[in-house]
Amino acid sequence: MISQASTPQMRNVAKRLMAYETGVNKRSGTKTAVAFHCCEKLRSRLTILMGDAGYRALLSRALASSEVPWLHAVHVKVDGSLEGWEELDVQLAPAEFFEGRVVLLAQLLGWMVAFIGEDVTLRLVREIWPQAPLNGSDFNKEHGR
Amino acid sequence: MSKQNKAAKLALPTKVVGKPAKVTIHKLPTGVPGLDDILGGGIPEFSFNIIAGKPGCGKTTLAHQIAFANATAKKPALYFTVLGEPGIKMLRYQQQFSFFDESRLGKDIRLINLADVLMQQDSNAVLDEIIKQVTAIHPSVVVVDSFRTAVHKAVATSGELEIQSFTHRLAQFLTSWQATTFLVGEYVEDEIHDNPLFTIADGLFWLSQVTERSSVIRKLQIMKLRGQASVPGLHTVRIGDGGLQAYSRALGWIGTRTKPGLRRVLSIGVPELDKMLGGGIREGDSVLVAGPSGTGKSALATQFIAEGLRNGEPGIMVIFGERPERYTHRADTFGLNLEAAQQKGMLETLCFRPLDLSVDEAMQEIRDAISRIGAKRLVIDSLVGFETALAPGFRDTFRESIYRMVGAVNGSGITILSTVEMEDTFTGLPFSSYAISFLTDDIIRFRYVEIDGQLRKVMVVVKMRGGNHSKDIREYVITDKGVVVIHPRRTDYEGLTTGIPQRTGPRKAQANENAPEPKATK
Repeated sequence: MISQASTPQMRNVAKRLMAYETGVNKRSGTKTAVAFHCCEKLRSRLTILMGDAGYRALLSRALASSEVPWLHAVHVKVDGSLEGWEELDVQLAPAEFFEGRVVLLAQLLGWMVAFIGEDVTLRLVREIWPQAPLNGSDFNKEHGR
Repeated sequence: MSKQNKAAKLALPTKVVGKPAKVTIHKLPTGVPGLDDILGGGIPEFSFNIIAGKPGCGKTTLAHQIAFANATAKKPALYFTVLGEPGIKMLRYQQQFSFFDESRLGKDIRLINLADVLMQQDSNAVLDEIIKQVTAIHPSVVVVDSFRTAVHKAVATSGELEIQSFTHRLAQFLTSWQATTFLVGEYVEDEIHDNPLFTIADGLFWLSQVTERSSVIRKLQIMKLRGQASVPGLHTVRIGDGGLQAYSRALGWIGTRTKPGLRRVLSIGVPELDKMLGGGIREGDSVLVAGPSGTGKSALATQFIAEGLRNGEPGIMVIFGERPERYTHRADTFGLNLEAAQQKGMLETLCFRPLDLSVDEAMQEIRDAISRIGAKRLVIDSLVGFETALAPGFRDTFRESIYRMVGAVNGSGITILSTVEMEDTFTGLPFSSYAISFLTDDIIRFRYVEIDGQLRKVMVVVKMRGGNHSKDIREYVITDKGVVVIHPRRTDYEGLTTGIPQRTGPRKAQANENAPEPKATK
């Protein structure tokens, strides 16, 4: 079952953000050591707003409501970072692993939209990725229908 | 001493012993309509303030309004949240208000959560983090919400002295960094005497909720504000789509002009009544028209406004209960076209429905309308309707409120005519059920009398402050011209004021006498 937060529209946003992030890292020659790089970037911004505990609760909710089975084996640490995915990265097919990452990011963004609205979510996302090709309609529920 | 020496001595520069130049304290806008007036111009720049009150009073919203009103990209507002409402929840709820501009988040307005710092470390670490952020960002405004939770842990671990030290260091640091600071906290009034925080603070904004029967009214008191004169007392506060709105107890008329020295005499709109008033009403007077239902108080009020309009004096009609269209219809029957005046911007009709109204709110609307059209005449019809429209909590102080309102309006040179319903007694002639005659300049009393088997109407000018007036009791009717005074005073009756007069003169032939009151038609 696809959860309310992880709509196709939000998955699309998540994919584009991940593609953008990958492109930036490639151009700069940075090797992405962290599979959940976008979540990490969101963490650094959101913990300022809601603290580690607040972000941890939000990310745990996103993991729990995810429709991807292997994500249920991943846990959120006290500081809000993720653990338990490293061995799965090796075991799972790349496409399956990628799909799980997309879903988690989509869930996280979806809960943000549900909680603080489209405009403020877009504002926070733009603070983190000012050059990312996103606009207001990407988070707009009406537009996504 | 020679003349030369004397002249030289006079030419010597004299030592000027003057007062040292005062430091200029700039005042920051609060972003809350009405609050700057209450504060005496705004919040003193670089001051250290407390916003206190019980939950649900609007403390966080007030802090946000102040932050949004003053923050710029160059001098942002830093909003620290501590073990209270997390920043993300603030974003959720505060964005509902129109002052909240999400495009300014992260630039002008920066929300920082300090809950983890406090939970994992101590209040010193919180102070260190505040210092770190303030030093890096150079904010114009700093808010700590909730400050009470920030100090709770310190009290538990280090005691009261540590709290005093913490607060003192915080105040000193933020003042030296030229930040205007607001500590938001859930306090109760009993704490004011014991908590050193209230001694350190330059300003203390106290929000509360007053419950009276089913009605709840929010109040704001400026308990303390160093260096400037704020308006004392409890001021009404409403939280609406735009956030907080404050209504000053002083009704915003502080500092406005007083009654002009040479006051004109204005027509009330009824020529014979003008004669009874010694020529008319003095400009800037407060006139009270008292009488039972159906005696023509609203009709006279309409004529009073219409007369002003004829002379180019804009007017405001404040109506409680009655629909505005009924008013204009009645005016039409008198041949007075109020709609045309409304369209020209010479007349405004404010209609208040009974809904937990406060005098302060009503006065704010009246004040705004007066400013909009430059009103010279004001009608309040009626005081009984006004009282009914008020929230129960305001009814106890209605008389005091009327006193403030009339004083404020008249003080700005506007002539006010209020009506009040009086139940006729047949033993005496009370002037007002509110015992407010002391604050009105002129009183006109309408009443019913039984004469020759008819219920007729008489009027008398009871009081005119500073002017002579007729003592006659005159009969009047309401015709298609409005209130019309008929007959010279009657000397063939006594006891007219009781409503059941006794004939003293010979009875005239009464056969086929028609009622002297053709009904207004149109």
